Amino acid sequence: MPPWLPQLIASTVVILVVLHICLGAAAYLILLERKICAWVQDRIGPNRVGPMGLLQPLADGLKLFVKEEFMPKGVDRVLFTLAPILTVIPAFVGFLVIPWAGMLDLGDYGTVAVMGADLNVGVIYLVAVASLGVYGVGIGGWASNNKYSFLGGLRASCQMISYEIPMGLALLCVVLASGTLLPQEIVRQQLDGQWFLVQQPITALIFYICLLAEANRAPFDLAEAEQELIGGWHTEYSSMKWALFFMGEYVHVIVGSAFFATLFMGGWSLNPFWGWDLPAGGAWWMILLQFGIVLGKVFALIVLTMMVRWTLPRFRFDQLMKLAWEGLIPLTLLLVLMTSFFVYFGITSWLWVGSLGCLGLLWVLLPVLPRSADPNRRIPLVGSRFSPAE
Amino acid sequence: MLLPRCKDSHRSAAREPDRAKVPANIYTAPMLASAELVNYLPVALIFVMAIIFGAVNLIGTSILGPSRTGGEKSDTYESGMNPIGTARRRFNIRFYILAMTFLVFDIEIIFLYPWALDFAQLSPGSPEATLFLGRILFFIAMSVIAYIYAWKKGVFRWD
Repeated sequence: MPPWLPQLIASTVVILVVLHICLGAAAYLILLERKICAWVQDRIGPNRVGPMGLLQPLADGLKLFVKEEFMPKGVDRVLFTLAPILTVIPAFVGFLVIPWAGMLDLGDYGTVAVMGADLNVGVIYLVAVASLGVYGVGIGGWASNNKYSFLGGLRASCQMISYEIPMGLALLCVVLASGTLLPQEIVRQQLDGQWFLVQQPITALIFYICLLAEANRAPFDLAEAEQELIGGWHTEYSSMKWALFFMGEYVHVIVGSAFFATLFMGGWSLNPFWGWDLPAGGAWWMILLQFGIVLGKVFALIVLTMMVRWTLPRFRFDQLMKLAWEGLIPLTLLLVLMTSFFVYFGITSWLWVGSLGCLGLLWVLLPVLPRSADPNRRIPLVGSRFSPAE
Repeated sequence: MLLPRCKDSHRSAAREPDRAKVPANIYTAPMLASAELVNYLPVALIFVMAIIFGAVNLIGTSILGPSRTGGEKSDTYESGMNPIGTARRRFNIRFYILAMTFLVFDIEIIFLYPWALDFAQLSPGSPEATLFLGRILFFIAMSVIAYIYAWKKGVFRWD
């Protein structure tokens, strides 16, 4: 038996299991989201189909499947059909490098990593693949021949590329502190030491914000701002084509949460600080336990994402761009510099001091830095074009 | 001239796993992913699966769903107004300039990753580490200058 065969079989099993979990979860997360939305807004939410509305996702899926697939005139037929598939592919292929549990001990056959693919580029693969998602959105908006779709596609592409930079720099902080690109190695260092969430709280916060923006989730869902753009880039899409866009968004959220749990919450680590923790691998029951812990963390992050969506109002587009280019990018550059100095002096476990130091520095510096004119300034009513007197 | 890698430095020694914590054979298998191309086979597998998933969904729904056309139905939906002209028209130059700026910064980040990996392997405070730190400080300073220039030129001003 060639030495790579156990890993290949394990990878295939993991892919099949996780893909089905992702798809099923995407369907039921929509129900969960509607329930949370209802709870936030003091309503009951879907409760007609099945007990507590539990069969609602099935009914929705069936309905979407037998709906008319419509293509308005003037669309680019090839690109219009291609765009949903281009959205689904990056969402699906991203989770390959997430370590769902430690090394599975197969006895005579050695140990295998419980992940979709044991790639040597590690986290870079996920970042690279996730940024492909911009093509589906941009092409979908352009092909629709609808001005609102076009604007939505432009906005979405602009937003996704803008937030990719702070995301990459925040990831760089983790790579610097851990000295590796391999996600299982990053998790192992958090098992041995602190979570990176504890070690680099500001980086984790920035990374989470960028995840929200990359997945086009509120408060960054400018691309589909209903009040301004009808439905954004998927205005003209119907039936399963639209459902693929929707599914892509939810799978994106799941993969993003799993990525965050891996990078900052130590995967299956139970202890955020130094000291006792679960082993980095073991027999099948230990693997199942670790898998359960990872899924629990992912679920908690998804619920957090949904609560953020139904709590915060949407940004305006200039605020969104301002936050990325004039806020997050300088801040992450500062964090990268700070992290490299801590690595240089070999005191990475004290990075949280540096993180808080950066925040303190901003606290002092921000009021004295030169600022551009405030677009939200108050204009006196008298004399303005809204003045009722004229 | 290439610098010697300090593989057995005190830093990487400190990163050695705590072997007492897990069964020995967990770490005998290398945790480092090998560079063999066979590891990329699952990537091809999942790409094919994703394409098939998308295609089956699209084909299935076009077979199962009804198809009626006619009248005003084939117009694009623009809030009930009659669409005027095509949507593929010129748009604001800001998007283009922003994309150019993005390219600069994205490529800069790509250069930073290999540096970060090597830098983290060097022993803290060694002359090589100082050299690496100095180089990257210079590199980041260059891009900060470009960033400030772009800011002053109003690339990030959207109001």
